[in-house]
Amino acid sequence: MTTTMTSEKALMAHLMRRAGFGASSEELDRLVEQGYDETVDQLLDIEQPNRMSDNIIRRYHSEYSGMMGNLSAGANWMYRMVSTDAPLREKLNLMWHGMYATGYSKLANGKVLHDQIRMFERHGMGSFKDLLIEISKDPAMIVWLDNVENHKGSINENYGRELLELFSLGVGNYTEHDVKEAARAFTGWTIGNTEYMTMKSARDSVWPYGRLSFHFEYKADDHDDSEKEFLGRKGNFNGEDIVDIICEQPATAEFLSRHIYSFFVADEPPVPEWPYKPPRDPEAIAALSNIYFESNYSIKAMLNYLFKSEFFKSDTARFQRIKGPAELVASVLRLTEEFEKPDISMNPMSQQAQFMGQHLLSPPSVEGWHWGTEWIDSGALVERVNFASEHFGNLDAPGVETLVNRILDAGDDIAPEAVIDRTLDELAITEISDNSREALIDFATRQSESAPADQTRRERVVNILKLAGATPEFQRA
Amino acid sequence: MTTASETKTKRISFNRTIGVAAMQGRGFYYPWAVSVADDGRYFVLGRGSDSDPRGTRYTVMNFEEEYFGTFGAFGTGEGESLWNTCTAIDSAQQLYQTDESLHRIIVRNLDGDLLNTWGEHGAGEGQLNGPAGIAVTASDELLVVDQQNGRIQKFTGDGKIISSFGESGSGDGQLNLPWGICVDSAGDIYVADWGNDRVVKFTADGGFIANYGSSGRGEGEFDAPASVVVDEDGYIYVADWANQRVQVLDSNGAFVQLTRGESNDSKWAQEFLDANSEEQAARAGANLEPDIEFNTDDPHEASAHIEKYFWGPTHLALDNDGHLLVVDSNRHRLQVFDIS
Repeated sequence: MTTTMTSEKALMAHLMRRAGFGASSEELDRLVEQGYDETVDQLLDIEQPNRMSDNIIRRYHSEYSGMMGNLSAGANWMYRMVSTDAPLREKLNLMWHGMYATGYSKLANGKVLHDQIRMFERHGMGSFKDLLIEISKDPAMIVWLDNVENHKGSINENYGRELLELFSLGVGNYTEHDVKEAARAFTGWTIGNTEYMTMKSARDSVWPYGRLSFHFEYKADDHDDSEKEFLGRKGNFNGEDIVDIICEQPATAEFLSRHIYSFFVADEPPVPEWPYKPPRDPEAIAALSNIYFESNYSIKAMLNYLFKSEFFKSDTARFQRIKGPAELVASVLRLTEEFEKPDISMNPMSQQAQFMGQHLLSPPSVEGWHWGTEWIDSGALVERVNFASEHFGNLDAPGVETLVNRILDAGDDIAPEAVIDRTLDELAITEISDNSREALIDFATRQSESAPADQTRRERVVNILKLAGATPEFQRA
Repeated sequence: MTTASETKTKRISFNRTIGVAAMQGRGFYYPWAVSVADDGRYFVLGRGSDSDPRGTRYTVMNFEEEYFGTFGAFGTGEGESLWNTCTAIDSAQQLYQTDESLHRIIVRNLDGDLLNTWGEHGAGEGQLNGPAGIAVTASDELLVVDQQNGRIQKFTGDGKIISSFGESGSGDGQLNLPWGICVDSAGDIYVADWGNDRVVKFTADGGFIANYGSSGRGEGEFDAPASVVVDEDGYIYVADWANQRVQVLDSNGAFVQLTRGESNDSKWAQEFLDANSEEQAARAGANLEPDIEFNTDDPHEASAHIEKYFWGPTHLALDNDGHLLVVDSNRHRLQVFDIS
C-alpha cells in the first residue's frame, strides 16, 4: 500500500468521500487550511445550499418540471448531487432513500417521489422523531405502503409493520400485536382525493392534464381513537404517540446508529441479517446510541459525533465502502464538470446508475438496495469501470481539462512514476495498493515508450486518468 | 382562489381550455410554443426528450379542437430536433422552429414538409448559442433570441444574418438568458429577459427603450418571464413563468391584471373522461382545488396540486380572432382567454 498524500489531506479526502461525493485536490488543499472540525461543521450547517437552481433545471428539462415519468425525478436529483455545495445533504438523502425506499412502480408519479426527497432534505438532519412523523405523513409513502387502505375497523398492517421492522426498531424488538396496534394508531392518515389519486396511479393515467401532486390528509372520522396497547404502554394513541414510544426505545437508537454507521463508516451486512449478526463495531454503535438520547434524537448531533470520532478517522476505515452507483456517477461528474449548465445528456447520464444497479426512486422493494459488495457483480463492474473511464477520457469536459493541466504543470520531462502520483493526487486517491500503482506505472511507461507519433502528451495523460478511474481505490469510498 | 387584483380590472377573461395530455397523436406532450396560420390552425410545438421522444412533434388543430395531424421527430437527423423551443409563421406561411440544443432553425411548410435547416453553433456574427424565442417582423425578417450569447439576431428566412443587438448583462439593453420575443404593430421589439426578471422594449433597430418589471411575486413583478406578446391596443401580456401566472401590462408597462389560470375540461379531455367512466366518477368526486399549507413559497408547488392553475406557462400567442393563447406546458394544454 502506498500513501500519496499528507495525513491531513488524506483524512480530508476520506471525509469528503464519505460526507460528500469526493473533492478535487485543489478543494482538499483549501479545506485542509480551513481545518477538519471546521469542515465537518460547515458540512453540517449549510442551511441554504448553492446549487443549480430549480428554474434553470425546469427551463431546459420539461420532464424534470412536470415529472410524469420514471426517470425525471431521479435525473433532477442527480443535478443536485452534482452541483450542490452542501454534498452531505444529498448524501444523507441517498441514505434515507435507501432506508425508506419508495418506488415509482406503484405510484406512477415522479413528482411525489421528488417531494419525498425534498422532505428528507428538510428533516434529514433534524430530530429523528420529526423525521418519522414526516415519513408517516409523506403522501408517496402512504400510497406505497397502503396506508390509504388502513381504516378504522379494517386495518391494513403494511405501514405499521414496516415502520417497526425496517424504519425504526428492527426485527425482534416488537410483537405481532404491536404491529396491529401501530396500524390502528395510523388509521385516518391518508392523502387527499384518495380515490382519484390512487386510481390515476393504478392506471398510470396522465389524462387529462398530467400528474397531480399528492397531499397528506388526516381524516378524523376514519381514525380509530379507542385504547391501544403498544410496546407495553396503554393509551388512546394516535400516530404521533406511536412515534414517541418508538423513539424512546434503545432498539431504535441502535437500529438508526447501525444504519448511519453502515452508510458513512463501513458496510454492514444487509438489514435482514442484523438480528443474528452483531455490528462490526459495537462500541461505535453504543456511542452513537448515547448521542441519540443525549441530543434528544438529533441526527445532526449523531453525524457530528461520527465524523469527529476516531472510528471514522481511523486508517482502517478508509476505502472500506463500495461507492453506490448514484454516488459513483455523481463523484465522477463533479470532477469532470460536464454539467455546469443543463444538457440534454443528463437523462442517459442518470440512467448509468440504473445500469450499475441503482435506479433512483425505483428501489427493488421496500427493503431498498443491499449495499456494499452486493453493488459489484460482473455486469455492474464493467458498467462502473466503463463509466469512469469514458468520462475521464473526455477532454472536452472542463473538469478533465483542468485535471490534465494540473497534472502537466510538473513540466515536460517527468518520469512515469511522477505522472502517476500526480494523477492519483488529482483524483484524491490517497492510498493505493502496490498492485494498482505498479499497473498504472507500467501502463504509463509503456505508453511513453511506444506511443504513436501523433499522440499528444495530453492524450497520454487522459489515458492514465481513464485507467486510474478504473482502479478499485477510485471505485471505493 | 381569486385575488382582488385578478378582478379589479379585466383585460382578459377565460374562454376555454384546448388539448389533452397524449404521448403521441391527438393531444400534447409538454407543449412549448404555438404559432397560428392564416387559416386559423394552431401549430403546437411539443418538447419531448430521449425518455419519451414521441412528444417532439407539432400537433395541428384549431380553436374548436378539430385535429389535423402531427409531424416532427426527436433526433439529430435532417428535420429532427432535440429541444424544441419556439415557433413562428411568416407571411408566406413558412413554419419556423428553434432547437436550443442543436442550435439551429428548422423551416417547413404547413404540411410539415421540410424546406430548410440552418444555424451554426458559436458566438460569432450569425452564429447561435441556444436559439430560444423567434418572431417575424412585418417585412418577414426573423428575430431570433440568441439566448446564451445574450443577444437578438435578425435573419432572412433562409438564415442570412441581417443585424444583431444586445449583450449579456443586467444593465439597460443587456439581457440574461432571454427567452421569448415579439414585435408590436409599430415595429418595436419586446424581449422576455428571463434571467433579469423583466421585459425589455427595443426599437426596431435594437435601440433600448424601456425595462418593465422587476424581481418578485407582486403585481408587475416577475420571476423568470418566458414569453411576451403585445396586442393591437398596445397591451403587453407576459408569461410570468416561475410565478406560474400571466400578467397584463398597459402600453406604458403599468400593471393591469394577472391570472393564475382557470382551466376547465377541454373537448378532448371530456371525450377521454366520457370513455373512462370510472375515472370520470372519481374525478367528479375529487376536490381539484384543495386548500393546502405548502412548505415553500414556490408557486410551482401550488400549480403541481391545483389543476386549473398554469404550470409552466412557456409561450403566449394571439390568434386571428384576438384570443390570447397560453401554452400551459406541464399541464399539456392551452388556456385560451378573450381580450376585451
